[in-house]
Amino acid sequence: MKIKEFYIYVMYLVVIITSMLFIVKDYYIIGSLLILGNLVPGYAMANSLMGNNEN
Amino acid sequence: MFDEKIYRRFNHTVAACFVIYFLFPQKIMGLERIYLVILLWIIILGIEYLRLNKNLNLFGMRDYESDRVAGFVWFASGTFIILGFYEMGAFPQSLAVATIIMAAYTDPVIGEVNHKLGDRWGLGIGFVCSFAIYQLIVGVIFYSVLGGLIAVLVERPKLKWFDDDLAMQILPISILSILWLSGIGPDLPETIIGSGL
Repeated sequence: MKIKEFYIYVMYLVVIITSMLFIVKDYYIIGSLLILGNLVPGYAMANSLMGNNEN
Repeated sequence: MFDEKIYRRFNHTVAACFVIYFLFPQKIMGLERIYLVILLWIIILGIEYLRLNKNLNLFGMRDYESDRVAGFVWFASGTFIILGFYEMGAFPQSLAVATIIMAAYTDPVIGEVNHKLGDRWGLGIGFVCSFAIYQLIVGVIFYSVLGGLIAVLVERPKLKWFDDDLAMQILPISILSILWLSGIGPDLPETIIGSGL
């Protein structure tokens, strides 16, 4: 796996873990903000990543 | 090759996760948690030093960043300055959390809207975005309006040695904190996250 792709997967992991930690600790607003704010760029990044893998 | 612009935007929004710092215990392996921030800052500065000296090729850099400090360094510096001043008691935690998340989201939002709808829309939607984040986290209209206005206004000037990634964090939180500390601004919830990990 290329280092760039690995780094992108780490970013997804960071977002998921951080938001989950805030939600588990009952900080729902911050947890939700972290998910919502990363949803659109994360989705676009996933599309770009899949297109890259197909090529 | 995947889209560099999307990659940059995603990098920017992921930076909101720096707020996890507030969940850390005060001491990590016997050391104050702020030392972790200093260590991360040194690593980032080291990476940037290597990049500027052409010893490291980083993906997603803009052309004009080849001979100037990159956006990620400015952003990280702004966040780490906020965390440092928070530890010294100069910034309330609620404003620190809101400002870090606001800067991580508002800058890419303004960039996208500027590109698709024009500068005026960028300013307006950027304000709505930053206002909403301050309001959701701090919950005081005075600070939300002022913080939103300062954030979008300081995003405008493009200066080589004072990047908007730094300005959008340092200027709003400094002004809002001065207003709060001096008693000019209304009261706000000082602490919203207890360290819990």
